[in-house]
Amino acid sequence: MALLFFFIISTLLALSVFSNKNRSINFSAASIYSLLHISLSIYAYINLNDLDSVYYKFDSLGIILNGLLSIILIPVFWHIRYFLDRYIPDRKMKGRFISLIIILSTALSSIYFADNIVIVWVSLEITTVAVTFLIYHERYPDALEAAWKFLFISSFGIVLAFIGILLLSVKVSNAQDSSLSYTHLQAVSHLIDPLFMKAAFLLLVTGYSIKMNIFPLYPATVDAKTIAPFPVNALTSTAVLNGGFVAIFRLYSIISGTESAVWANRVLLIIGMTSLVIMSVQLFKVKRFSRMFAYSSMEHMALVIIALSLGKPGLYAAILHIMLHSLAKTGIFLHYGQIRAYYLSGWIHDSGDYMKQNGFSALVYLLGLMTATAVPPSGLFVSEYLILRALFSEGYSYIAIAIIVLLSVVMYVIFKYSMQLLYGKLPDNFQKDKAIINKYEPVSQIILFGLVFYLAYFTPGFIKELMNSVVQNLN
Amino acid sequence: MMIVLLIIFACTLIYFFLSERVEKHINLLAVQGTLLFIIAFINLIEINVLGLILILLETLIVKAIIIPRFLNRIRRTNNLNRLVENYIPFFYSVLIITAIIIASFFTAYSIRNHFVDVKFLAIALSTILGGIYFTIVHKNIFNHIVGIMIVENGAFLLSLAVGGEFPFLVSMAVLIDILIAVLIIGIFIDKIGSAFGNMSTSSLNKLKD
Repeated sequence: MALLFFFIISTLLALSVFSNKNRSINFSAASIYSLLHISLSIYAYINLNDLDSVYYKFDSLGIILNGLLSIILIPVFWHIRYFLDRYIPDRKMKGRFISLIIILSTALSSIYFADNIVIVWVSLEITTVAVTFLIYHERYPDALEAAWKFLFISSFGIVLAFIGILLLSVKVSNAQDSSLSYTHLQAVSHLIDPLFMKAAFLLLVTGYSIKMNIFPLYPATVDAKTIAPFPVNALTSTAVLNGGFVAIFRLYSIISGTESAVWANRVLLIIGMTSLVIMSVQLFKVKRFSRMFAYSSMEHMALVIIALSLGKPGLYAAILHIMLHSLAKTGIFLHYGQIRAYYLSGWIHDSGDYMKQNGFSALVYLLGLMTATAVPPSGLFVSEYLILRALFSEGYSYIAIAIIVLLSVVMYVIFKYSMQLLYGKLPDNFQKDKAIINKYEPVSQIILFGLVFYLAYFTPGFIKELMNSVVQNLN
Repeated sequence: MMIVLLIIFACTLIYFFLSERVEKHINLLAVQGTLLFIIAFINLIEINVLGLILILLETLIVKAIIIPRFLNRIRRTNNLNRLVENYIPFFYSVLIITAIIIASFFTAYSIRNHFVDVKFLAIALSTILGGIYFTIVHKNIFNHIVGIMIVENGAFLLSLAVGGEFPFLVSMAVLIDILIAVLIIGIFIDKIGSAFGNMSTSSLNKLKD
């Protein structure tokens, strides 16, 4: 019943800070929650493959992603302090922000460990509500527009996904608690009508695509990330995307054991390639850093989906890529918070001469840029290399070459915009006296980018075992 | 009896496109909620008390009373009476929804699966597609929430078609989830109304770079 206790304590913590005005109580709750989350990850690892709280299971993928969220939450909570101090004067709203982050993280843990398709669906809807209010936290018209679009499209996607779940339950429903568990669905997947299975797969993948920031429902996610506060983006561009991946992967693990597996692989490949092409084109039009990084996340998720479409040969690379991208993108978005504080703007044309003005931070940004765009020796280069190798070995040479071309375009555009920030002319409207610099802020990013390098080149044995276990358990 | 109820349900879909008045759309949602309760009540031969309470909650209480009342409140607050902005004229929309119902009927009957009730599937499919079409065709964001509710009603009918029964706790979670989502969407519609002065999607286009 560990997860049930985790949910109860998390809810109490979220409630305790929801209307609280005391700063130290807010951050004590955040620290306690962070420790609680780490404890859950450790407990889950100790109890690997055990069932918990009726609808949950501590499987390898859940442990990897929950552990990753535990790591990400530490710098995120740290940077939330800066964000709240700088932009949110209302003390009540500060507590509300932390409360929503706790609710979001708890719902994400529920997604990672859920062994029931409906629980994943419910938890994803909770993340929608939490993210919507987090986007709208600064209460200005653009935030309202972004929040509305995210809420509406997510809700629509969630309804589509629910229809998919209903189609999947045609043959397997017997009103028992286990009837819609992934374990049970995998076991009876051969009994499900292929037409219903395919329709369910399409509806669920479409519905969850907004969470994973991929085609077809990606636009609302990109708009949301353009506007959302940077600590929120540090979670929505990492842990929430991973939640979307888990939802799609669990479904894939059901269909991969049936005669529809080849069809599902093609669907995923088309979705991945379409996402990659769209983001490469859209990237040329971006004018804000946050939007550029949102499209960068779309690129990485497209690569993950392409890797997943290869089945077992690409799965290890997909999981490694998810892990490394989460750490890299957390660092990038946390650094974006510093850029915004320095230039008092998130627009690319409002930035410039960062290297001369704020040398140390600029170097950290450059490091992050190289890490996120997979420039060697970035850890992401290793996972991208593994994905491309899997594509070549499975006979998708043309796809691999197309991906290399598209990734080169993406890298060119992102570096072009970043050069404006690093070496471009300092804008006339820059107010040096109002620029905020904190020399300790980049430290968290150095650690995160270092972790990307470490996990790729010196992957610890237990993480390798967990990743291999995910691959082995796929049908 | 069941066939008559399903035909009435399909007729409500056509009425959604015949009417320009927002109040009528909300009333039609309430009618659909009531019809769903009667259909589910008749369809379920063996039902326990918990199951009955759940269906009563989901259909009569939530879909026929709470949500329509909530939507009516938003309508009054924002002074919404008639829909003037549509991508496709009403006449063509009526033709299209009729075509959707006929196509859904043929599609459902072409599916040969012993576990699926074809008559429910036909109406469920047309309701889901009709709801999606209703959402796409209207520029007013208030009608988008009505569209989502129509799709959800279709999903309820689909659950009857496939005989899917979730455990009580899970069903409760789904019900609360849907209710909260609709309430929050409603709150945001209210905020958009007061922030932008209207509810047209054309005023929500500031985020493009």
